Amino acid sequence: MRYGFVIDHNRCIGCHACTVACKEEHDVPVGVFRTWVKYIEKGHFPASRRHFGVMRCNHCDAAPCVEICPTSALFYRPDRIVDFDNSRCIGCQSCMQACPYDALYIHPDTHTAAKCNFCAHRIEIGLEPACVLVCPTRAISAGDLDDAESPVSRLLASEKAASRKPHKGTDPKLFYLGIDGAFLQPSLMEPQPSHLFAAHNPAANQYTIEPTASAEPLSSAQVVYDVAHRQAWDWMSALYLWTKSIAAGVLIIAILTLWSSGSEKNRTAPFFAIMSPAIAVLFTGLTAIFLIAHLKRPDRFYYILIKPNPRSWLVRGTWILMAYGAVAALWMALGVLRISSPPAIYALAIALALASAAYSAFLFGQAKGRDLWQSPLFIWILIAQTFVAGSAILLIVAPFFTTSTHAVALVESYFVLSLLINGSMILTQILMPPYSEDVRYAVNLVVSGSLRRRFWWGVITMGTLLPLALTVYSVVASAFAIEVLAALMALVGLFIFDDVWITAGQAPPLS
Amino acid sequence: MKTEIVPPLHPVAQTLDAPAGLASCPPPARWDDWTEYDPTYWPRKVEKHYRLIPTICFNCEAGCGLLAYVDRETGRIRKFEGNPAHPGSRGRNCAKGPATLNQVTDPERILYPLKRVGRRGEGKWRRVTWDEALDDLATRIRSALKDGRRDEIMYHVGRPGHELIYNQRVLHAWGIDGHNSHTNICSAGARTGYAFWQGYDRPSPDYANARFILLLSSHLEAGHYFNPHAQRIIDGKSRGAKLCVIDTRLSNTASRADYWLSTWPGSETAVILAICKIILEEELYDRDFVRRWVNWEEYLREEHPAKSCSFDEFIAALLELYKEYTPQFAARESGADPGVIVEVAREIARAGHAFAAHIWRNAAAGNLGGWQVARALQFLSVLVGAVATPGGTSPSAFNKIIPSPPLMPPAPQAWNELTWPPEYPLAFFEMSFLLPHFLKEGRGKLAAYFTRVYNPLWTNPDGMSWMEVLNDEKLIERHACLTPTWSETAWFADYVLPMGLASERHDLMSQETQAARWIGFRQPVLRVALERQGQTFNNTWEAHRAAGFGEVWEEDEFWIELSWRIDPDGEMGIRKYFESPSQPGRKLTVDEFYGWMFEHSVPGLPDAAAKEGLTPLAYMRKYGAFLIDEGGYDAHEKPLAPSQLEGATTEATSGIISYNGSAVGVTVDGTVRVGFPTPSRKLEFFSKTLKDWKWPEAAIPTYVRSHVHRENFDIGRGEMLLMPTFRLPTLIHTRSGNAKWLNEISHRNPIWMHPQDAACFNVKTDDLVKVSTEIGYFVDRVWVTEGIRPGVLACSHHLGRWRLDETSGGEKWSTALVDLQQLEPGQWRMRQRHGVRPFTSDDPDSSRVWWEDAGVHQNLVFPVQPDPVSGAHCWHQKVQVEKAGRDDRYGDIFVDTNKSHEVYRRWMEQTRPAPGPGNLRRPLWLPRAYRPATEAFYLRRLT
Repeated sequence: MRYGFVIDHNRCIGCHACTVACKEEHDVPVGVFRTWVKYIEKGHFPASRRHFGVMRCNHCDAAPCVEICPTSALFYRPDRIVDFDNSRCIGCQSCMQACPYDALYIHPDTHTAAKCNFCAHRIEIGLEPACVLVCPTRAISAGDLDDAESPVSRLLASEKAASRKPHKGTDPKLFYLGIDGAFLQPSLMEPQPSHLFAAHNPAANQYTIEPTASAEPLSSAQVVYDVAHRQAWDWMSALYLWTKSIAAGVLIIAILTLWSSGSEKNRTAPFFAIMSPAIAVLFTGLTAIFLIAHLKRPDRFYYILIKPNPRSWLVRGTWILMAYGAVAALWMALGVLRISSPPAIYALAIALALASAAYSAFLFGQAKGRDLWQSPLFIWILIAQTFVAGSAILLIVAPFFTTSTHAVALVESYFVLSLLINGSMILTQILMPPYSEDVRYAVNLVVSGSLRRRFWWGVITMGTLLPLALTVYSVVASAFAIEVLAALMALVGLFIFDDVWITAGQAPPLS
Repeated sequence: MKTEIVPPLHPVAQTLDAPAGLASCPPPARWDDWTEYDPTYWPRKVEKHYRLIPTICFNCEAGCGLLAYVDRETGRIRKFEGNPAHPGSRGRNCAKGPATLNQVTDPERILYPLKRVGRRGEGKWRRVTWDEALDDLATRIRSALKDGRRDEIMYHVGRPGHELIYNQRVLHAWGIDGHNSHTNICSAGARTGYAFWQGYDRPSPDYANARFILLLSSHLEAGHYFNPHAQRIIDGKSRGAKLCVIDTRLSNTASRADYWLSTWPGSETAVILAICKIILEEELYDRDFVRRWVNWEEYLREEHPAKSCSFDEFIAALLELYKEYTPQFAARESGADPGVIVEVAREIARAGHAFAAHIWRNAAAGNLGGWQVARALQFLSVLVGAVATPGGTSPSAFNKIIPSPPLMPPAPQAWNELTWPPEYPLAFFEMSFLLPHFLKEGRGKLAAYFTRVYNPLWTNPDGMSWMEVLNDEKLIERHACLTPTWSETAWFADYVLPMGLASERHDLMSQETQAARWIGFRQPVLRVALERQGQTFNNTWEAHRAAGFGEVWEEDEFWIELSWRIDPDGEMGIRKYFESPSQPGRKLTVDEFYGWMFEHSVPGLPDAAAKEGLTPLAYMRKYGAFLIDEGGYDAHEKPLAPSQLEGATTEATSGIISYNGSAVGVTVDGTVRVGFPTPSRKLEFFSKTLKDWKWPEAAIPTYVRSHVHRENFDIGRGEMLLMPTFRLPTLIHTRSGNAKWLNEISHRNPIWMHPQDAACFNVKTDDLVKVSTEIGYFVDRVWVTEGIRPGVLACSHHLGRWRLDETSGGEKWSTALVDLQQLEPGQWRMRQRHGVRPFTSDDPDSSRVWWEDAGVHQNLVFPVQPDPVSGAHCWHQKVQVEKAGRDDRYGDIFVDTNKSHEVYRRWMEQTRPAPGPGNLRRPLWLPRAYRPATEAFYLRRLT
């Protein structure tokens, strides 16, 4: 048994009855929606026309929200309805990134995620969902896709149906008949400064509704009514990526330096034996704090551990970070006890550090809604960032310790090298041909849209070019204080990049 | 607790598709104890137990069925779904149906009677008892009646419900002609056009069976009757019907059309007559139908006495009459593509009898001569023979029933000239929107003025003149506003008396939503629920008190109680109409009233009820609706029974059969048939009435150049046409202001402007423009769109609500707080202090309100523009547009009521007053709401 919807836009009259009936059935608060009717207009007078698109959860058979949800608050029922249990939800909002259809929102009172659940409580007693019942023109049908006799199967057998974003591999179970093609590619629509009979909700993601970044309009479809979608992840998420890159990078660079320097003495030097793991422990701790703080339900953070969904990279990441933190702590403990760490610790640390750095790429990859984050380069950017962050933090603390100049020179070279690699990868990422319209939208925002200053000045100039120049200058002029400045600038640049990456990724409208 | 899939028990529900897998609704057998899981706790299975009690939606005119889910534990209404047993709405609703829950649970609603303290309009109120309010009003009415000042009692009603003969019964029992309505700012134009053709003032298109549908309306999003009609238009479309929409603006309906003709407002008649001409010229008309049912002989006799009285002569005359209505002429007038006009004409002819057409407001409510748009449209239906056919358009009465109540009082010997002034002998409804000017002119005063679900200050044109007279305690001595919510008008009342909403009162509905006749029963859901639990109440308000709903009354009981207090001992002859039919001397109860009607006045209902072992009343309480019959086609063809012909006379030339001086039938091809309730009993292409009543040029369907004809505009000088009359699918006038879910979706009414015009004014979307009429101006934002004809502006009338006090006097979900200043006598300036804001209340959503816009109240700056024939207000405005200046702010309004009175006088000059033939105030045959006694129609009787 597989329940699905068929929405027939040959019958839809754009009346919003489904929206309101849903609000009534589920007592959906003002400001958020489980289903809504988007309006667009196309064409020139008198050949202009308005088109409607009923938007909601697609009850995917391969639902990215179920996969990413760290606590299995989102789940498949046996009838393949994607339902949710808000008592398990920790409010991480990763489902809102995973869903390619903007289906989820955070309930303002419970601070947990919610969405259309096919009125599972009604299905359970044999009743149609509330939106199906109310629809004046019977544009919405619900039924068992496995039953050839069900109304949905009969419609799908006889009419040409479309689904949204099939390339996402989500296997949606919401099919549209007669929907205007523009609804299938929302990032091509032109947002308007306001709506036909409504204003924009100020809580809406401003990057989504800002005029199309590209110079020429890509499509003649104008959005004349839509509902707001907040930007779920903000600078707090960028901060956690940033602290994590420092935490992971510091031990990678430390170990590389130890190995390259070949000096046994360095292994027990406080700089490597205590300071480096201490930084790793501190920033891993900070990462955990930011991770918890950005939850809408921080009180439930431990659900990740006691109700884990092992397929979620949020859970896997948590395990990796915990393991990494433990190894770093052990390293530090040995350092404090002046016991030389066995090479196994270094091997373990470097493996876990790389995993800590890289797992976010898999988490962002599970955020299927965000095309930009699917970039194959992202994992390498994360690793390069880790190198930049690790070398930068060591350069900053080095002056406070008596460290061999050889070691510092090695760190300097890692810094310069990783900055170069990171910078060129970022530029490649931004300048390479976009692999989807959403990526084009996001990249336009970064290159020439409202994120351009942050990117060109913050990431490229301050975060990459200036640190490179200053480091070279400091080496030449032996002005090591300037090197510290360069490292600081690089670190700030990394944070700005993370923030730009997170903001731009969420900018293209999903629905 | 899996629901078994059982066939629905109700005869109507049985005609619905069998549920495949999932049922739409709980089976009626279990409505009294229905168990569902609470979605709030889901996926934990927490059971909730409900009683499902049907009622009728309060929001628009359609009277769709609702099914209230009353929580058996808390006694509160959890939700409203559709009532599957309702033949019109078939279990489905528009957005306004479920939003009823917002209105019922509105944290700001008025629960107790309030009386003004201090000056009227000052905004100070105290809670009073119902006794105090009722006694005061009853005393004033009693003394007015005793003094013979019966024209000083006026009941002014909006919609919907408790109208027609049920309220007529009340006012006629008092012996007054005291009804006033909103109809002349609404549908009176279209009604006039239809009535002069067929005596019936409304169309009932059979969309579901049509092959071609022509709408001069937006029935896929609004209007009489939005949800039921939208269902059937889409059903028709899905069976292959073509849809043509004539509307200047791109409505949602136009967006779904196969042909959208964006015509210059007022040119619609020209387009339709051009279509008629093509059908005539290409001989595509239904010759037999036209020959049998059109009064062409009368036309030829009256207008072409020299010609032979043959049908071919008539067709020749038609071709001559309409020869100038070429597609090119229509295109010049309207801007529409002449090729499309020809194509549409041929498609209509191809559809033949299955051609359904509809106009209700739109052009008919916008233009001088708008009533002729409806007349031209009906001409088209008549030409192709699509009158009362499957897929055609029937007169409303064929698809409607008004069950007779017990004890109808006789029509009064009274004629109220404040509502039916001699200047408008043919006005289809009361000249309601001229009332302030009549009062200002000294035509009378009001001792007791009731407003009910009506907000004339806001809804009518020239609201500031309304405010001036509402504020004048000499002109309106007592004003009682019967309303569940605050409104702009309620602020200027002496009493604000809370009346029940959709689920809080009794009412009987029957609408011509399809080819069927049905009744719907609105009932006070909480009372019914409590009574099922074994409690008993004498009055609905007591049930509301028991349920914690304050002292909210219902109209039926209000009128019974008030009438008893007016005539406590029965000496005035009023009380007897409000006594129990079975136990005279006891107060009539609603159970008796409706029980009597269901038993005696609804064919088939007693039998259907008996089959289920129920009384007719119990049956209606259970199902909330009853289908009397389906079809109703060709009712005009019904032969008169021989018994009906006894004592009747036949007029030789016309074949009209008369009984006691009034026509009852007509001979068609040798058979005596019922025909239509017109003087000729036929469809009147030619109206002798119009000719006799000084409008000879309008005696046949004619194109009247509108007051906003395109040649009246100097576009280069910023002159534009404003169409201020369109609804949104989510709102309903001033009744939906407390529906948070609806206001969240729709809360602004920008001015639609074509990009070409926007370029001329150098404005873009969201820029402010100042729109000036003859009497003032308003400032609103611009919405640049390809969905409007260049030269024309459009602005929805649904928004722009305001209040004068921060804490009270308007729903905070939807009103802006404004300052209102009188600069000079009659010169009013309104400025928004702030828009909608979040507020604290029992509803946590009120603090989550995110929209600030409340829209702009444009109607204030429109002068009255009454059509001299139909009396309908001609809404379209010629305006001057300019970019807003530095001192102009969003929502600014300025009005000069001195100027509005001048405009009123100018339009009055176009009238051709009574008396008509026989010294009549109004043609006797022409329908009139709350029809007084025949004697009252004669001017001499009263002078």
